[in-house]
Amino acid sequence: MTYNELTRRYFENASGTAGVLIGPDCFRGASGSRAQGTWVQFDVQVDSGAGPARIQAVRFLAFACPHIIAVSSWLAEQTPGCEIKAQLPESVQSLRERFDVPIPKLGRLLIVEDAWIAALRAAEAARAPGPE
Amino acid sequence: MNGPSCVYLDYAATTPVEPLVAERMAQCLGRDGVFGNPGSTSHVYGEAASERVEAARAEVAATVGAEPAEIIWTSGATEANNLAIFGVAQYNAQVGRHIVTVRTEHKAVLDPCRELERRGWRVTYLTPDRSGVLDPAAVAAALRPDTVLVSVMHVNNEIGVIQDIAAIAALCARSGSARLHVDAAQSIGKCAVNFSELGIDLLSLSAHKAYGPKGVGALVVSRARGVQLKPLQYGGGQERALRSGTVATHQVVGMGVAFALVKAAPRDETLRIALLRDRLWDGLRSIGGVLRNGDSERSVPHLLNVSFEGVEGESLVAAVRPHIAVSTGSACTSINQEPSYVLRALGRDDRLAESSLRFSFGRFSTAADVDTAVSAVRRAVERLRRIGGA
Repeated sequence: MTYNELTRRYFENASGTAGVLIGPDCFRGASGSRAQGTWVQFDVQVDSGAGPARIQAVRFLAFACPHIIAVSSWLAEQTPGCEIKAQLPESVQSLRERFDVPIPKLGRLLIVEDAWIAALRAAEAARAPGPE
Repeated sequence: MNGPSCVYLDYAATTPVEPLVAERMAQCLGRDGVFGNPGSTSHVYGEAASERVEAARAEVAATVGAEPAEIIWTSGATEANNLAIFGVAQYNAQVGRHIVTVRTEHKAVLDPCRELERRGWRVTYLTPDRSGVLDPAAVAAALRPDTVLVSVMHVNNEIGVIQDIAAIAALCARSGSARLHVDAAQSIGKCAVNFSELGIDLLSLSAHKAYGPKGVGALVVSRARGVQLKPLQYGGGQERALRSGTVATHQVVGMGVAFALVKAAPRDETLRIALLRDRLWDGLRSIGGVLRNGDSERSVPHLLNVSFEGVEGESLVAAVRPHIAVSTGSACTSINQEPSYVLRALGRDDRLAESSLRFSFGRFSTAADVDTAVSAVRRAVERLRRIGGA
């Protein structure tokens, strides 16, 4: 298996792997299974200041191939400061191209997407106004 | 140095050509050398080439305890396996169409067997125990009156386990109809092989696993036991008409020299390699969560196969790749990772089969290589376990 330069860089120097985030402003989403070969978990810390909610920090855990570790690491690095939205900052197809992920591994990228969306949905749900 | 610079621990995949081998091969290539067609013995050029080919044949035969006339040159062990399996099966098609082999054989045995199944033969695939050892009783139980071939490798290429060929040969001999084919591609220079003493009918050999060139091997076909087989290719009738085609003088000369060097190798080399293997195992198991694959007592010292718990296989390979050259437990040359069928046959689950690494040692391996490997693997495993939350 060969990897492009971006994948190699984010795999070899994966950021966002220093532990997990725990607290009232931290939200977790996970997808996949170790037994099936790919499992990803994101912890997203939300900036609870005034204005639109933004991602403050991201940590991830991944039992996965280098492509998936690289994509997860890239998300952890790129998304702090972004508004909370239950979607990837770019499409799965775009990520596939950016990291030169082989098409048969597309399902693994969907696991990343599911884990990411689960974390962001949890954050959105927590910030949604409750019933009066 | 023109090649890559990381530590090479993949001698079971291939070995560098010994300088003396390369030198003797080169003597058979140029205008001033022994370039003649060894089949053209009507002139001195051909005669000189023929002499070199026959000298190589004698060296290879002597190394494996066979007669020179029993050596059939091939392009490698894969062709030798194909010639043995198809050759015996097709020659004996009227006698019987049943073959016995083992799930942990090399693809060069399993794929020809599968092809024969497609053509109407029946194949029994035996499963070794969890340490990779095949009980000869399983062979005995599988033999039928219509069994024409049993194919069992001597040393397994992934886990290094040595099978009890003598016992299996005795069973085949008793059966009356079953010929025994042994793939010994991994055996030469690692453990003793004596074709006639073991009672083998057909033996596959490779040069490049023993510091010879790639692209040449041999099938040893017992004359004393009257083994007959049908050729796979037809042409000039070379090699007792079993393998037509001009003999590649430089290649077989290289194989002859390589095998002669194996025969002359100091006995303490095996002990040196065994110490390296033990040093590696001690280092790796101190990481924790490391499982050894294959029977540690009944295996060649040149090979160590281990699985790492809590580590994804492809990432492990990618992480160690800059530092060491080893084989992996998955076919990661393909995009769809397939866990090692050998390790799966031993009962390892897919994740452990994928996270396995095969380290294999050779003439140029050193303790420093082992220490580099241990530290590279330790760093990779600890980092990936941290990333994986293990």
